[in-house]
Amino acid sequence: MQFLRRYLVPRLIQFLVVIFIGVTVVFIIPRLIPTDPVEKQLEILTIRGMYLDPDSIAEIKQTLRELYGLEGSVMQQYGVFWKRLFKGDFGPSFSQFPTPVTTLIRISMPWTIGLLLVSTLLSWTIGSILGVLAGAFRQARWAKTMAVVSMSLRPIPYYIMALAIVILLAYLIPIFPMAGGYTVGAQMRFSLRFIIDLIRHAFLPSLSLVAIGFGTWFLQMRSVTSNIVAEDFVTYAEAQGLPRGKIVFQYVARNAILPQVTGLALSLGFVFGGALITETVFSYPGIGSLLFNAITGSDYNIIMGVTIFSVVSIAVTVLVIDLVYPLFDPRVRHR
Amino acid sequence: MKIHAKVMAVLLILFLSATMAWAGGQTASESTGEQTARTTSVGGLPRHETLIVDILTGKNANPGNFNMWAGWVGNDKGLQQLVADPLWVVEYTLGENVDTLASGPPIYNDDYTQMTVKLRDNVTWSDGEGFDADDVVFTVQTQIDTKGMSYHAQMNDNITKVYKTDDYTVVFELKRPNARFHAHFTDRWGALRMSPEHIWKNAEDPMTFQFNPPIGTGPYVLKDYDPAGFWFIYERREDWDKSPTGLLYGEPGPKYVQFMYYGTAEKKVIAEARHELDMADLTPESFIAAQDRNEYLRGLYQDFPWYEILHPCTTGGVFMCSKPPYDDRDVRWALNLALNVPEMIMTAYNGATSLSPAYVPATLPFYEWFYEPMQQWLIDFTIEVGGKSYKPYDANMPFQLADQAKKAGQPVPSDKEGILEMFGYGGWKYDPDAAAVLLESKGFTKKSGKWMLPDGSPWEMYLVAPTNPASPQFKWGFQLGEQWRKFGIEVTVDSTEMKSTIDQNGTFDVSGAWPMWANGGDPDLYSVVQQYHSKYLLPIGEPNAGGQTSRFSHPELDAIIDEMEGISSNDPRIQELSIDAMKVLVREQPGISLGSYVSVLGWDEYYWTNYPSGDNPYTQPHYHWPNFKFMLPRLKPTGRK
Repeated sequence: MQFLRRYLVPRLIQFLVVIFIGVTVVFIIPRLIPTDPVEKQLEILTIRGMYLDPDSIAEIKQTLRELYGLEGSVMQQYGVFWKRLFKGDFGPSFSQFPTPVTTLIRISMPWTIGLLLVSTLLSWTIGSILGVLAGAFRQARWAKTMAVVSMSLRPIPYYIMALAIVILLAYLIPIFPMAGGYTVGAQMRFSLRFIIDLIRHAFLPSLSLVAIGFGTWFLQMRSVTSNIVAEDFVTYAEAQGLPRGKIVFQYVARNAILPQVTGLALSLGFVFGGALITETVFSYPGIGSLLFNAITGSDYNIIMGVTIFSVVSIAVTVLVIDLVYPLFDPRVRHR
Repeated sequence: MKIHAKVMAVLLILFLSATMAWAGGQTASESTGEQTARTTSVGGLPRHETLIVDILTGKNANPGNFNMWAGWVGNDKGLQQLVADPLWVVEYTLGENVDTLASGPPIYNDDYTQMTVKLRDNVTWSDGEGFDADDVVFTVQTQIDTKGMSYHAQMNDNITKVYKTDDYTVVFELKRPNARFHAHFTDRWGALRMSPEHIWKNAEDPMTFQFNPPIGTGPYVLKDYDPAGFWFIYERREDWDKSPTGLLYGEPGPKYVQFMYYGTAEKKVIAEARHELDMADLTPESFIAAQDRNEYLRGLYQDFPWYEILHPCTTGGVFMCSKPPYDDRDVRWALNLALNVPEMIMTAYNGATSLSPAYVPATLPFYEWFYEPMQQWLIDFTIEVGGKSYKPYDANMPFQLADQAKKAGQPVPSDKEGILEMFGYGGWKYDPDAAAVLLESKGFTKKSGKWMLPDGSPWEMYLVAPTNPASPQFKWGFQLGEQWRKFGIEVTVDSTEMKSTIDQNGTFDVSGAWPMWANGGDPDLYSVVQQYHSKYLLPIGEPNAGGQTSRFSHPELDAIIDEMEGISSNDPRIQELSIDAMKVLVREQPGISLGSYVSVLGWDEYYWTNYPSGDNPYTQPHYHWPNFKFMLPRLKPTGRK
């Protein structure tokens, strides 16, 4: 009962407040962009070759304003926005009108989740495991080498690394495809062949993300581990003659993993925002390009839809981490 | 030491195994190597029967939706090029409007309140149903009845009634005289194209109907597409001879056409180097890179100028004519005379663009319609500089440009006609002294090499440019800034994603915007000069999307536009009025009309040849224009497999 009152309820309230503020900010921000979506659409129509008789423009503007739900005061729009949101409806996309934003997100989101979730988990797992080992065996030659590699990879601008990977593994040594989520003409079905095809197409973007992400996790874990191995309880365990592996994995790693878990939770939340550069360089499907085009095209509803996904997912993962933290850290349980 | 050695070994083995497994897992149909690419297409289609082209607007966000009548669904994913047909298509290279579903030009009554369209009687939809007047009436009526559809406002605003008089004749009763009503049905990268009534009449809601698979009168049908939006495959109709394309030009060459978005310029270069992409829009830099890696790669011209330079759009910039000092014609002339145009063209495009001083480019039809009749007027045209008549036109400029290009090692033509065709027929002089006199006459002063405004404050100019380096407007924006800086003006060039908003609101001094984009199919410039009418002029700060960027108007131009409005495109007087409008624009200079739009096309001739070229411009050369379908019957396989 005390756990409920002192731990769970405050966190749930915090979660709801974060979502409310986040969603409200998401509603306001696009309206601060000095671009009118209706004007933007008219411009796009002109660029795309539609002959716009100036005498019809006023009627087109009025129609678009009505259909986009941009009539009424900002407060009225805000009310409509919440009503829609409770029904899981972000409204129609302006740039792909009248396609609902949820449809566009549904097309792009699985690719983003698949790629970023796997890459984040992989880089976190590899970085954390190697970081623990490098922190525990700091003087070993391989640990020093790994540290140099991580520190060298980390500052490389992501775009450059990604491009280098494409040129190396899709052009000079063309063993991986350079565009798309799967082979042209392949049938999307649950089969081993198709899964392998999916993995092949995701390999290069994933490799680039893991290569960049791994360094951060590795260095962070190595640093925390280096501090922990110098603590008294480790010295005591060594004095007791416990095996080195047991000390590293059962005593040191469990302590060092805590900040990594928090970091992982936040990273997973960011998965829903997409990875624009990755999608662009590897021509990989995803939510990043949808969001970018929405921003440049003043497509408020897509911007709000994608950002709300991101806000809610970060809030949810933080809440989940808060709730499961006691499982990792007995000290939290004790308090 | 033992532990870490084992860990490293395991990781290494895992990595190598994974790499080899994936590398080994390639299937024959996949595009992984040059050898593979040369035997089969991506997608398992026979490569020698497949034409692979880029998607200009990129990955499609809404791939399963083919309802282009309700909004934008990425119409250039092959839909407008291969499947859908309009009544007429603009063919700017030849200077004509091609009767596509219509069997002839529109027929207006005397007061332009009625338009009659005769249709082809031998066209069928791709599912075998016959195309007739019911389809046209249905398409138009659906637009009128459904708020939100792309042409709802235009049709609703214009039409009283649309009906057929027989199976192949449609009559439009108009609410008021409109001699250009057919412009809505004339495809120049956008028009109200026809939809099949027998499919659409079953649609519950025309706005949300997906129209998947699309049924059209074009020569191809959709075969397959990527739900993620990267590719679309079309197959030639067995009854291609029942499509307007087949009737007009014969059997399309490629059995399959694949629209494929590879991504950024470097990816397109890689794809073209591996013969996995036949047609793409490139940047000058990526064109050179692709040519270095693919001996079969060519541009519109086999050698200099390589790029498409005879496009109906004019590039350069526009002044904000509604605010000082740019509201003064003499200031605008001074700024034009301060530009070393040949230098700019050499820097931006190595000399490869055609001078376009009169707000339309000197394409072959435009030359005949406009430049030839205007050339002597341009030569004799004078402005007043320091109280004296001054002739700003330089008919020798094409030859200067040819000389500079020759010195830079470009193989330019040596004959006069060849030079004029390639570089245009003249341009505005580079005369900074005359520019200075013009400015000084308006109270501008020069101190320490910098120009001061008449009130004594430094002249600071805000020039807005787009962000895409491949865009001519980006190149010209920076070139203009550089030229005027050299002349002594403090210019800030702002390359920003917000350019279109700044353009719409008019909050710039100079914008790297299009001075004008012409139709190209006839000598009627009404649709492009119409927006200059003072009745559409808005104050700065009020968005004017769809209107003209420079916020320029002139009573003389108003009168010309009013007269044009009352006569049709095929009236012999229209050419004269278009020229009169151009003369006003030349005299007033609301913009900087530099050169034709330069389009860098990269065509791989490994599998396909006989693309439209500078030597044989049988159609417009773009794979994203609606008349791409007209090109396909003329493409020839090379026989390589």
